[in-house]
Amino acid sequence: MQTNPNFFKSIFNGRNAVIAIPYIWLLLLFLLPFIYVLKISFAETIYARPPYSPLLIWGDSWLPSIKASFDNYLFLFSDSLYIKAYLSSLKIAFISTILTLIIGYSIAYSVARAPTRWRGILLMLVILPFWTSFLIRVYAWIGILKTEGLLNLALMSIGIIEKPLMIMNTDLAVYIGIIYSYLPFMILPLYANLEKMDMSLLEAAADLGCRPFKSFWTVTVPLSIPGIMAGCFLVFIPVMGEFVIPDLLGGSETLMIGKVLWTEFFYNRDWPVASAVAILLLAILIVPIMLYQRSQEKAIS
Amino acid sequence: MSENIQFSPWLDSSQKPYIQIQNVTKRFGEFTAIDNLTLDIYKNEFFSLLGPSGCGKTTLLRMLAGFEKITHGKILLDGEDISEIPPHLRPINMMFQSYALFPHMTVEKNIAFGLKQDNLPSNEIDQRVEEMLELVELTDFANRKPNQLSGGQSQRVALARSLAKRPKLLLLDEPLGALDKRLREQTQFELMDIQEKLEVTFVIVTHDQEEAMTVSSRIGVMDSGNLVQVATPAEIYEAPINKDVADFIGDVNILKGIYKGQNKVGTQLFSEDSNSIVYATQDVGASVEDEMWFAIRPEKLEISKVAPSDDHNILKGTIEDIAYGGSFSTYHVKLDNGRILKAIRANRERTKEHHLTWDDEVYLQWAPHSAVVLLS
Repeated sequence: MQTNPNFFKSIFNGRNAVIAIPYIWLLLLFLLPFIYVLKISFAETIYARPPYSPLLIWGDSWLPSIKASFDNYLFLFSDSLYIKAYLSSLKIAFISTILTLIIGYSIAYSVARAPTRWRGILLMLVILPFWTSFLIRVYAWIGILKTEGLLNLALMSIGIIEKPLMIMNTDLAVYIGIIYSYLPFMILPLYANLEKMDMSLLEAAADLGCRPFKSFWTVTVPLSIPGIMAGCFLVFIPVMGEFVIPDLLGGSETLMIGKVLWTEFFYNRDWPVASAVAILLLAILIVPIMLYQRSQEKAIS
Repeated sequence: MSENIQFSPWLDSSQKPYIQIQNVTKRFGEFTAIDNLTLDIYKNEFFSLLGPSGCGKTTLLRMLAGFEKITHGKILLDGEDISEIPPHLRPINMMFQSYALFPHMTVEKNIAFGLKQDNLPSNEIDQRVEEMLELVELTDFANRKPNQLSGGQSQRVALARSLAKRPKLLLLDEPLGALDKRLREQTQFELMDIQEKLEVTFVIVTHDQEEAMTVSSRIGVMDSGNLVQVATPAEIYEAPINKDVADFIGDVNILKGIYKGQNKVGTQLFSEDSNSIVYATQDVGASVEDEMWFAIRPEKLEISKVAPSDDHNILKGTIEDIAYGGSFSTYHVKLDNGRILKAIRANRERTKEHHLTWDDEVYLQWAPHSAVVLLS
C-alpha cells in the first residue's frame, strides 16, 4: 500500500474534529487536573508556595530523581478519622440515595401518569429550583430548620409541639438537605424511563389477571430498573463527596469525607493529604461509576 | 369440515347467545365512539368486527376486555353482567395488536404470567406452558427474550400467552396486522385450527376484509360506532346491505338504476350507463322512478370481444387497463360515458389466443341473479 500523501488531511477531517472535542475537553479539564492531584498526593508538605515538595528533582545527572512517598496514604489509614469519614459518607450517601429513590420514584411516577398537558408543567416545577443558586437553597433550609425557624414556628403555632425540634446541626438536617437538593437528579432519569413505558403492557398484565398493585411490582418496577440505576448513581456519586450540605446544615459530629477534605485543604493547608483523600474518594467511587456505566450500556443494547 | 358448514347457532332460536352486547354506548367527551350498539355472539363463534379505522371496533373490543368503561348499556357473558367487572377479574383474555409481550421476561415466563396470577401449583403451570409452547410450535424458544424473536414468533407467543388461561372468550386486536402477507395467510389457518381445537369463542378486530372473510363464522361490519350488517362472510359478500358495505368488502362495480317495476325476469331498472333496461332477479319493494343502485362483483362480469347472443344486461366499452394477477386478470373497461368498470377473468389457458388487450372493444354481460340491488 502506498503512503497516503493526504495522510494529515485524512486525520484532520471534520468527523475526527467533532469526535476530538469531548476528548480534548476531558483531557484538559479532567485528566490533567487529575494527574496534578495525583502528583501532589505523593508529595510532602513544606512551607513554601505551593505548599508541597516537587515530585521530580533535577540534580546533576541528565535524568531527574523521583521523590514520591506513600506516606500520605498510609497516614489516612493510621488515623481512624479518615476511615470513619469515608464510612460515614458511604452510609449517608447510601441512606439518602434510598430515601431519594422512594420519594423520587413516586414523584416521577405521578408526573409520568399525569394527563399529557400537565406533564410539562409538573416537570418544570421539578426543575425550577435549579434557577436559584444551590448555595442559597441550602442556606434557606437553615431558616426553615433552625430552632426559631419556620418549621418550628409553624408546628408550635398549630400546637403539634410545645418546644422547638432540634433538627438544625444534626444528621437529619443533612439528610433533608441532601434529599431536597438531589431529588431532581433522581426524578429526571426515572421520569424519562417511566414516561416511555408501553402502557399496553399494564393492560396485558391486568388482562392476564394481575391486580394493579401487583402489576406495578412485576411489570413497571422491573422495566424501570435502568431509570432507577441512573437516578441512584446520579445521587450516590456526588453525595459521597458532598461538602456544602454537611457544612451548613450538619453539626460537628456529622462526619463526611468532603468536609474532611475541605478542612485539610483550607484549614490545615495540607495539600498532599487533601489530595490523597481526594484520590482515595475517587478510587471508592470508581466501583459505582463503573457499575453505572455497565447499566447504561445494558440499557442501550 | 361438514360440521363447520352447519355451524350457525344464530339461526337457531333455542340457542342462547354467549356474549350479549345490549344497547351499549361509549362516549369520549363529546365524541360518540359506540352508538347504542346491540349484538349477540354465540359460543365457539369466530366473530370478526370489521370496519375502517375510527369506526369503533377497537373500542368495542376494549369494552369487552374491560379497558373502557361503558357509558350506557351492558355486556353479558354467559348470562352474567360483566359491565362493572374490572379487567383482571374477567374470564376473558386478549391478544394485543402490539403483542404487549413483557420485554423483561422469557417466552416461558410470558406464557406463565397469567397462570401465576391464579396461584396454580408450579407443576401445573409448567405443564400448561409446555402445552402452549407445543401448540404454537415454539418449544425451542422457551428461554428467549421477546427482543430475540421474529414478528411471527412474537405473534405466536402473544397467542399462547392469551390462551394459556383457557379463557372463555379470546379477543384479538388486529392479531396479524404486523405480519407479511404469506405469514398472515398461514397464520389465519392456524388460528382457525386452534380455535376449533380449543373450542374458544374468538372475537377479532380487523380492518383487513380478506382476513375477516377467511377466518370468520360471522362478520359485523361497523361504521361510525354502528353495526351496519352482521352476517356470514358469504352473505356479506353476495348480499351486502348497502353501497358502503358492498364497497368495503371486496371489489365492486356500483351502477345507478331507476326502478321501472317487475316483470317475469325480475326487477327492471333503467341504467344510464347502458342506456337501456337491465334486469335483476331480486325483488325490491319500491315505487316506479325510485332511484337505486345495483352492484356487480368484477368476477361476475363476463368480458368478451364477441357480442353476446342475448341482448340484456350488456355494457359496451374499451379496455383501458389490465392488471395481470397470475391466476386471473383484472380488466378496467371504460364505458362510452367515461365510467370505468372492473371485470375479472380467470386465466384458464396458458396460450395467448383470444387474448384481450388494451383498446379492445369489449362487451360486459352479467346474469340477472349476479347483480345485487341496493336501496341505499
